[in-house]
This record gives sequence, structure tokens and C-alpha cells, in this order.
Amino acid sequence: MPTFHHLPAYYRGVANTALERPKWSPLTRYRRTLWLLTVRDLRVRYSTSALGYVWSILDPLVMAGIYWFVFTQVFERSVGEEPYIVFLLAALLPWMWFNGAVSDATRAYLREAKLIRSTKIPRTIWVARLVLSKGIEFIASLPVLAAFAIATGAVLHWEAVYFLLGVALQALLTIGVGLIVAPLVVFFRDLERATKLALRFLFYASPIIYGIPDLEKLGVDQLAAFNPLAGIFSLYRAAFFPDQLDWYAVAVGALMSAILVGIGVLVFSRTERAVLKEI
Amino acid sequence: MADEHVIQVRDAGIRFRLNRRSRRNFKDLFAGRKRRARADEFWALRNVNFDVTAGEAIGVVGRNGQGKSTLLKLVAEVMLADEGTVSVGQGVAPLIEITGGFVDDLSVRDNVFLTAGLHGMTKKEISERFDEIIEFAEIGRFIDTPYKHLSSGMKVRIAFAVISRLEEPIILVDEVLAVGDKAFREKCYRRIEELLQGGRTLFFVSHNERDLRRFCSRGLYLDKGELVLDGPINDVLARYNADYGS
Repeated sequence: MPTFHHLPAYYRGVANTALERPKWSPLTRYRRTLWLLTVRDLRVRYSTSALGYVWSILDPLVMAGIYWFVFTQVFERSVGEEPYIVFLLAALLPWMWFNGAVSDATRAYLREAKLIRSTKIPRTIWVARLVLSKGIEFIASLPVLAAFAIATGAVLHWEAVYFLLGVALQALLTIGVGLIVAPLVVFFRDLERATKLALRFLFYASPIIYGIPDLEKLGVDQLAAFNPLAGIFSLYRAAFFPDQLDWYAVAVGALMSAILVGIGVLVFSRTERAVLKEI
Repeated sequence: MADEHVIQVRDAGIRFRLNRRSRRNFKDLFAGRKRRARADEFWALRNVNFDVTAGEAIGVVGRNGQGKSTLLKLVAEVMLADEGTVSVGQGVAPLIEITGGFVDDLSVRDNVFLTAGLHGMTKKEISERFDEIIEFAEIGRFIDTPYKHLSSGMKVRIAFAVISRLEEPIILVDEVLAVGDKAFREKCYRRIEELLQGGRTLFFVSHNERDLRRFCSRGLYLDKGELVLDGPINDVLARYNADYGS
């Protein structure tokens, strides 16, 4: 094969006058890109819907209303604690975050196919940005919880500091699950529906409408701890209901989250090439 | 010598599946990338080797489906080689599916900031170039119009204006300029020439011989997934014409 060693001097010697740009570290670039995409999502949502922010409160509010009605008015409730609406929201709001991020992760690559094909962006961003934007919505919906806590006179305990630990663990868990789900859906479209189904199952299998102490009565609390959400939700709930805090569940949940992130990173890195070809 | 090369391609190969609908199994996905191609796969590119020095203008020649666009995507790093390495030492402005990053529901202004930002420009840099970008695209009246309401010509114009203003040292052009009216195409070509005079490195995929001769001094001739000839553009075109007699 002939090579090309003898380049004419007139273009070999030209200085590259492309503007000197500040060279960002990969981490800064990652953060900036992540932020741009997150702001883009929020802007699109608010520019296309009249209610905007209200939607991110309305959804959990309606859900909480339904469960409150069913479990305090229709049925004789034997689970959870008083005030039930606060007990419910303390787990329902973070559930919305997990649920929203994971179900959006099923379309993480497919929806952004055009951008992924044309722009070099670290590919983990497509999952990370979903976790971040849903996380922001979660934080934005916390005033709902605060309002109900004040209205019902729920007492805030010092255990509220565990809230931060809960957020950190949940972000880790959600990224892990997203990194597994997002690439695999590209190859197995059925997985999108399977994920929806699994999420619906997980809603009832996690201590949201009930608490871990209610599972103790059934003797399945040790088993339920393997669902990382059990430990995470108990951290959130500790702010108002310190009895709900279950360190065994938190420890097992943290371990499970770490394992899921490990699997996620593995799945992601092994499928990255194939995903880029497929979309 | 080696650090002068802004692009280094070594034994690069990438394979695709022939039958998209054929079943994939988990074993396939996790099999090592070094394994040999299976019967239903083919190598779109294989054993490709070349170096690019800063400031070169390279035209990629070949018939349809011989791996030209794939090569460009490897250089843009929006696809990853299955074997070998493709290393790109400098920033790339890819004129590949240029409208890809644009969001329908956002205004032209927001889209300019978003797309340029995703390619690594700061707000300040974009603001400095904003007027020039809008002027180049000739859509001054539509700055606050949602992108989806633009005509398809306008969409391409604004996209080209943004990407070609990225100030990246390497430019990749993949036949995007086939769209748009004649006057605008000429404008785009003049912009590319300006960039070349400014010392940018150009990677150009086209079927148009006149364009290739106009911009490029070096040619890469791809055939059946292999790099058949790497030499001055006139030699490459002569060989291509001899092979396929167009």
C-alpha cells in the first residue's frame, strides 16, 4: 500500500490557527455537559407545558391522595404510622424518583439516537442525566412533604440528617440499574415492557405503603432487606419516624447497590460498541 | 514526528451484522471484542492504517457502502473500532448529521447555545459568535422561533453555521452539503476554504470530484472495507475512475 510521506510543503507547514481554547479536564467537561442536558430537559418540559412545575408535585400528590383515601378511609389500616400521609409521602416521593429515572432509562439511548450518532459525549451521561433531572424533581417536590408534616403536626427528629445518606445511596442505586437497563433495551426491546412490569411489582414489594416493621410481623424483613429500596426508604422515614430506621436493611441495601453499580458498569462497558452500532 | 499526527489510525476494523433482525443473545453481547466475525457479520472496515498531520485536507473516495461514512464516524469517535485503535489528538467539529443535537421545542437561540455548549464551548464564546452565526445562517428574523417551525433548509443552515464555528482544529464533512440551495452551498464551501486557510485539518467525504479536487490535496480510497490507496487526491481519483469507470 503506497503511503503518503511526501506532503507538499504549502499545507504541511501551515500553523494551526484554530482558536486556543481552555482545555477542560474530562471531569469538568462531563459535569458541564451533564448540566447542559439537564437544563435542556427542564427547559423543554416547562416551555411545552402550561402547568410546568405543578406537574412534578401533582403526580405524587394524586398518588398519595389515593393511597391515603384507600388505606385510611376505606380499609381499616393496620400498617404504617401516624400521620399516615407523611409516612406515605416520605417513601412515595423518592419512589417517584427511582421509578421515573428507571423507566426513562429504557429509552435513554433510543430517544437521543440522533445526538449520540453525531456528537461525542461520554456515553454514561445518558443515564446520569436522567438520574439527575429526576433527582432535581424529587428535591423540588419535597415542599409537599414539608407542607403535610406541618399540617399534621408531625415531629421532625434529628435523624433527618440520614436524608442525605438516603439521597446518596439512591443516586448510586439508580445509576447502577440505569446502566444495566439502558443498553440492554437497545437489543431487547421487550425489556422496556418487562421493566415497567418489574417496577410495578417493586412498588408493592418495597416498604412504601407499609414499613419494614410491618414485614417483621410476617417474618420476611430479613429477605426484604435485599431490596435496596427498603433500607433507603427507611433512611428517609427516620426523619419523622425514627422507629422505621433499620440499619440491617441499610447495610444490605448499600451492599446490593454497590453490586448493582458494579454490574451496571460491566454491562455498560461491554455493550458500548454494540449500542453505538445499533442506534 | 509522531506527536505531529493529529489523527492516528492503526489496524482499525469495525464489523456490522448483516441481518439486523437476527437474534442476538446475551452470549454475543458479552463475548470479547477480539473474537472472529460470525457468519452473519461482515467487516465494514478492516486493517486500516493512516496518519494525518495537522493542516492536511483529506478526501475520502469510494463507492457507496465501502465504509467512508463509517471511517468518518470512527474519527469523530461516535463509533468505536472493534479492533485496532483510532486516536484523535485534537477537538473535532463533525458535520455529520449536523441537525442531530437540535431540539424541536426550543427556540433557535436556545438551540445554538445548547449545541455549541455540547461541543464544549463556553457561554461567553458562544455569545461572541452568536450574531455572526445567525447572520451566516440568514435567519435573523427567526431567532426566537421554535426550531421545529423552521423550514428544512433553514434547519440545515443554522446547524452548519453553528458547527462550522466551533473553532475545533479538525473538521469532518460528510456530504451534508448536498442539501440547501446552490447559493448557500457555495457559501458553505467558502467557509470550509476559509477554515482550511486557517490551518484546520479537513476530512471530507464526497462523491463529487470537483469538490474533492477543490478542497483536498490527499485522498484515501476505500474499497470493500479496505484502504486501497492513500496518496495525492488526483492519483486517488484516477485510480477510482479506472476501477469503476465513472
